[in-house]
Amino acid sequence: MAKASAKITTSSTAEYFSKNLQQVGFSSSVKAVLTTLKEAVDNALDACEEHDILPEVEIWVEKLGSGSLKNSDKIRIRVLDNGPGIDPEDIPKVFGEYLASSKFGRGRCSRGQQGIGISAATTWAQLTNATGARVVSKTKNMRKAVSCVVEVDIKNNRGNLKVKETIDWDRPNGTSVEFVIDGRIQLNGEAGLLNYLSGTTLVNPHLTLHYNLPTATNEEGAKAMERTTVERVSNVIPAIPDATEPHPHTMKLGEFIAHSHLFGRVKVSAWLKKGFSRVHEGTLKELVTIGGVKKGVLDKNVDAMNETEFKDLFTAIQNIPLMAPSTKSVLSIGEEALSKSIGRLGAVDFFSVVTRKPTICDFKPVEVEVAIARLEDKSIESESSVQVLRFANRVPLQFDKAACAIVQAIQTVNWRAYGLGQPKDALPLGPYIVAVSVVSPFIKFKNASKETVDASDELVEEIRRALIQAGQRLSKHIRREHKANELEEKIRHIEQFGPILVEGLARITQAPDSRKKKAEEGLLKLLGREARDAEAQLKDAESVLSAHQAKTKGAGTVVEGSDGVPVTIEADDDVIDVDTLVKGTGKEAAKKASKSSGGSAKGAPAKAPAKGAKASSGKKPKIIVSKKEKSKQAEA
Amino acid sequence: MARLNTTRTRDQELPKLSREICNRLLQDLERAKRPVLYATKCSLDNALYNHKVGFLTPGEKKVATELNVSSVKKMSRAIFFLEILLRNVETGGVNTKRELYYIAKGEIKHNSTLKPLDFADQDESDSSIDFICELLECYREDLNCFANDRGGQTFSQQLIVTETLPDGDVATIELSKLGTSPFQPKNRPQNLKLSTKKKIDFALIVESEGTANTLVANGFTKRHNCILMGASGVPSNAVRGWCKLIQDQLKVPLYFFGDLDAYTLQNIYRTLKAGSAASLIRNQDYSAPEVRFLGVLPEDIKKYDLLDYPVKENDAQEVRALKKAADALKNDPFFQDKKNRGLTDILNWLLKNKRRCEQQAYFTVDPRDPIMPEKIIVEKIKKGIFV
Repeated sequence: MAKASAKITTSSTAEYFSKNLQQVGFSSSVKAVLTTLKEAVDNALDACEEHDILPEVEIWVEKLGSGSLKNSDKIRIRVLDNGPGIDPEDIPKVFGEYLASSKFGRGRCSRGQQGIGISAATTWAQLTNATGARVVSKTKNMRKAVSCVVEVDIKNNRGNLKVKETIDWDRPNGTSVEFVIDGRIQLNGEAGLLNYLSGTTLVNPHLTLHYNLPTATNEEGAKAMERTTVERVSNVIPAIPDATEPHPHTMKLGEFIAHSHLFGRVKVSAWLKKGFSRVHEGTLKELVTIGGVKKGVLDKNVDAMNETEFKDLFTAIQNIPLMAPSTKSVLSIGEEALSKSIGRLGAVDFFSVVTRKPTICDFKPVEVEVAIARLEDKSIESESSVQVLRFANRVPLQFDKAACAIVQAIQTVNWRAYGLGQPKDALPLGPYIVAVSVVSPFIKFKNASKETVDASDELVEEIRRALIQAGQRLSKHIRREHKANELEEKIRHIEQFGPILVEGLARITQAPDSRKKKAEEGLLKLLGREARDAEAQLKDAESVLSAHQAKTKGAGTVVEGSDGVPVTIEADDDVIDVDTLVKGTGKEAAKKASKSSGGSAKGAPAKAPAKGAKASSGKKPKIIVSKKEKSKQAEA
Repeated sequence: MARLNTTRTRDQELPKLSREICNRLLQDLERAKRPVLYATKCSLDNALYNHKVGFLTPGEKKVATELNVSSVKKMSRAIFFLEILLRNVETGGVNTKRELYYIAKGEIKHNSTLKPLDFADQDESDSSIDFICELLECYREDLNCFANDRGGQTFSQQLIVTETLPDGDVATIELSKLGTSPFQPKNRPQNLKLSTKKKIDFALIVESEGTANTLVANGFTKRHNCILMGASGVPSNAVRGWCKLIQDQLKVPLYFFGDLDAYTLQNIYRTLKAGSAASLIRNQDYSAPEVRFLGVLPEDIKKYDLLDYPVKENDAQEVRALKKAADALKNDPFFQDKKNRGLTDILNWLLKNKRRCEQQAYFTVDPRDPIMPEKIIVEKIKKGIFV
């Protein structure tokens, strides 16, 4: 006999996530540490950018002892920022309530989107160490800071404050959040903390980051902490463009109807024009003439529409050709900023960066940026794959590499054409870093933990194009180097084998020394001609590269003068010298820049000169920047 | 040092020819003129076949190696090896390719100036030797570089082999007195003289050396005045030269008995009869154009109800052989010659039916009669059922 059906219950969002934390990045001890850190840093950076603050973030990750879970350690993670601070009444919502977010569904290119991550970190801390997140926060308007512990009320999806007190804090504003969780610290490797931190600094040139990580084991067996500082290389805070209205073709019927409820009592025609992008008077006419919508429907009030009318209207609008959605809502890091930032990855020989124009992929605005750098570190085997850094909305992605659109795009490019080794359908080889950033207000992630970007054909193709452009620029350097190696090899060959050949021939023919000497001279003449040819080829390659650099010296690049006024240098293509970028911080540089550009200097508010000289000290990498930067800078 | 091996007139020419080439190279260098070496192109696209000649001969194509930065290493290595080989030719020393690799390594070890020439593996030294052979248009055996003897185990009650040894002594080998041991020809069988006690009716070359041994053990050579030889797969230079010698000196009909498959027909039988594209310059001495294909023939399968089986689609080697067969029909001048239409028909049959039949299938005809394969072979020879 069949059993009576079990009682149906409902659960809170917090309950669901507390039982499925693996879905949001807590599937292993290593990932737990990384995800917690990532969520805290993302929130800090988003908050700073929202309030036009140059972010300065300090991170502590340390091992306190053994964890309660098997094979795990007790880890303390603390992130301190100079952001605007959080109002005390918002603290429980931010850290203790799922889907409570200032960013959800706004269609902006912020790092956080849904308001899940940091609450999940609090839940993880609560589940593994019975304590939630310790938060200290102070806004400019507060005299004292608030210190409290936030815990998630899992049954009701609410944040609860505990041990709340006001304390003195030596900073005008900011937030400090601390979690004690079970996890494992992995510093190196693709999923390592260092990789995350270097990626974060690469795509956030305006960030000053201090991080305190465990290093060598001290006498007591505990790890000593080491503090590292990565200074910002840009004083420009990326402006997050405002969201645009939704495009009708990207909506489903339910969303369409729900969208109408936001507008109250307005006419349908007004709602369509005001509430959607790419809908104008002409579209409304087409709705009547082509779509078959009655004119009366458009004059009706939105709240008076019934379901059938909504359905008809929705179907009609789907069948009308509309302009693609606007790309104004995407944000880019910019080639100049990337160029400066790439030096923070380590010493590089040369690199190229490409910022594509924003485009539409799968009806969503997307902007792809690529930076490829060749590391100076010759200990990296030329047979090992390049290091891939993936970013989605300026957040490093470190897991599930194979399925990611970025990796798939890299594999489809024929890197051999640009002088890099590459096995079939695989990543290219060599001591290179290939960094790809995808920015979009609507990134299609494969999972809630945002580890992989969905590989749609259009997105893969767009990334591929950016990679090809970057590869073409890089190949000029590689070709020059290749020619130099060829010349060296030829000279070495001549020196090595010439005498052996002549010696052998002379022995077999029993030729006298005079003949041998003459033959040696003749051989050197012969092979020397080839070496000279190789030399000429090298010169050609060098002149192509320098012509390319000279042609585009200072292309669309902002150079900061000593007075802190950025000067945009107009030029028509894409190479500038590092000296102009980093060394030219004085008036002279600005003058020089304006001279070379015909004097078109544009002012914009700016802070002190960049401290990024570190990136270019020592051997100066060559920097390639395209003219597209120009428009970006103007927007900024 | 005593001479270990006799040399033919051609061998005496080789040191002279080598010196001439070296002298020409040196002269060019003295004049700062870029020396060029020409070698015969040994590949199928430079192979010609005329049934009146009987074997694959080289065409007009030459490979020119010009001295430049890229080829200076190759040339230096070749000259270095030439010196070693000439020393062998002049003293009568003999070596295998492997030994020559070690000799070269030893020379380099004891003379640091030669270090850049060092060979990473035997393939590199082998290619230097091959390059020299192509330059001098000679066989590596001419330069006293011999491969390990393989195949060619020969049985006969009538055959007598006379060999003049390097020291001038003459050895006479009467094969009937060797008992169950076979006679095995050396790498350069051209130095042997053949005679017979009685008239020999035919010579039979069996693809499998094992099957050849079985036929002998069952009394084949006692019942027939013949020479029976095992080829052991793709015939070595020794087997090829030995068959040529039997053909030329004894003027007896030669028959090849092997599997019915594309590999046997193109790689084994074609090489035995007409030589190979890789050895265009030595096919003259290493092919027996009169050898006939006795079987297994496609019609034998039906006639004797032989056990055959389809080519396995997942067997890479068999599939490759069929693909090669299709290529051979298009490009191989041997199979394109009208006189070899019978063989072409077999290849077409194999490609069409995708079946194969092994030589041992004759044992299925009467499993209890150990000499049934012998009976079939003899019947086929008598009735002229061969291609």
